[in-house]
Amino acid sequence: MNKKILSFIAIGLLFILFVAGCGSNANSSSPQGPEVQEKAEEEAFRVGLECGYPPFNWTQLDDSNGAVPIEGTQEYAGGYDVEIAKRIAEGLGKKLVIVKTEWTGLLPALTSGKIDAIIAGMSPTEERKQTIDFSDNYYKSDLVMVVKRGGKYENATSLKDFNGARITAQLNTFHYTVIDQIEGVVKQPAMDDFPAMRVALESDMIDGYVTERPEAISAEAANPNFKMIEFTDGFVTSDDDTAIAVGLAKGSPLREKINEILAGISEEERIRIMDEAIRNQPASE
Amino acid sequence: MNFEWIVKVITNYWPMFLRGAGMTLFISLLGTIFGFIIGLISGVIRSMPMPESGIKKAILKFVNIILSIYVEVFRGTPMIVQAMVIYYGSAQVLNINMNRLAAALLIVSINTGAYMAEIVRGGIVSIDKGQFEAAYAVGMNHIQTMTNVVLPQVIRNILPATGNEFVINIKDTSVLNVISVTELFFQTKTVAGNNFRFFEPFFVACVLYFIMTFTVTRILRFVERKLDGPENFTMIYNPMQI
Repeated sequence: MNKKILSFIAIGLLFILFVAGCGSNANSSSPQGPEVQEKAEEEAFRVGLECGYPPFNWTQLDDSNGAVPIEGTQEYAGGYDVEIAKRIAEGLGKKLVIVKTEWTGLLPALTSGKIDAIIAGMSPTEERKQTIDFSDNYYKSDLVMVVKRGGKYENATSLKDFNGARITAQLNTFHYTVIDQIEGVVKQPAMDDFPAMRVALESDMIDGYVTERPEAISAEAANPNFKMIEFTDGFVTSDDDTAIAVGLAKGSPLREKINEILAGISEEERIRIMDEAIRNQPASE
Repeated sequence: MNFEWIVKVITNYWPMFLRGAGMTLFISLLGTIFGFIIGLISGVIRSMPMPESGIKKAILKFVNIILSIYVEVFRGTPMIVQAMVIYYGSAQVLNINMNRLAAALLIVSINTGAYMAEIVRGGIVSIDKGQFEAAYAVGMNHIQTMTNVVLPQVIRNILPATGNEFVINIKDTSVLNVISVTELFFQTKTVAGNNFRFFEPFFVACVLYFIMTFTVTRILRFVERKLDGPENFTMIYNPMQI
């Protein structure tokens, strides 16, 4: 009896070792030895993004419209960010690897070296610049408000019209700080991501959320209950906020090269890529 | 609620939902098994009687302190924080590039292990002291007493609590998306973000989570009944008795 249980424990321990061994071998892109790691770093350009923020980035099931496989899954990533990432990887002469990462996990992933760059519609704010470096901008957008169609704020045209409205925006973004510019606004707690805010808006928890133009156009196109409000005399923002740039680790040697590559992408081409992304995003089917 | 959209979400994205559910089940199953083993080992060590001699006593005391620190720290901090600290911390501070899935399994295992250690300890304490005394009286040492007398009863008794841990793990793996593990919650969020539709994908995820947890609790109930054996049976067959 005793022997039986001992052998059971032994088998259990062997099983643990086996699984641990499998786990470390399964992912070829994060090898163990330092020599192997250096070699892999030379070849791969690892980019972190959410893959759930169309038209900047999204997830799809096939490789149509030039989508790139997401590491460790059987899905593919497409969108404006992915197109830019493809051009940068090509310019660097490296293989593009898409690492799907939650928004809050992007900065730690970059600073800990899990990824080489963040190309996820991230704005180069002063706060972020304290921990990471940014390339030159690869997109620039204006701020708009998304409200419910048929609701109280449907016909708003200026910031003043949102007096008394319950407004929110994404956590850790400048979208949230500009809300204070609306007089008499009832500022709601910041939310984690866009899906959460859209749920809140649809269920009348909030009256609107602050976002960028491409996201608002997509939201409006996909869900007829949403309406985008544009401002002629809108939020006062700094250039650093409305622009979007590639996030890089402090002192990254890639920065100059990436700036060179970005400079080679003309304004017309950027607009063309963005239009294509808005057209191709999953919800527009 | 829009029924057409639910059908659309399922037909367009069913592979993503299924892969996510598979990943969730894989991590929580292995995590619970490893956690169970960790809990058993730690429970056995923590219930050891203090030896009289100095060196052995010191070692056992030291191990006991380590185990209590482990239990208190991992029980007292949220799993999402542990995931962040272990996965990104190991890379940033110790320069170890951990595999994502391995890190997820490690986090769920040691987290479950901390809870299971207390559950097992409770199970051992609940066994009548007379049984220990009887086992020692017939000359069994602590390990023999545990494996032959105490643990078989403990495992049966803590099975419902283990089932609880398993169900909790299925739900709690949803926090692992911060270290890029594409489990069911992360996949659902992606589907929602892709379509600008929220209620429908999350409703599908809700049903999937419930199917998983319900199946698990039913299976464990069945195992419990099997372990209990038939209600009426002869305790011991004794050929000497006439």
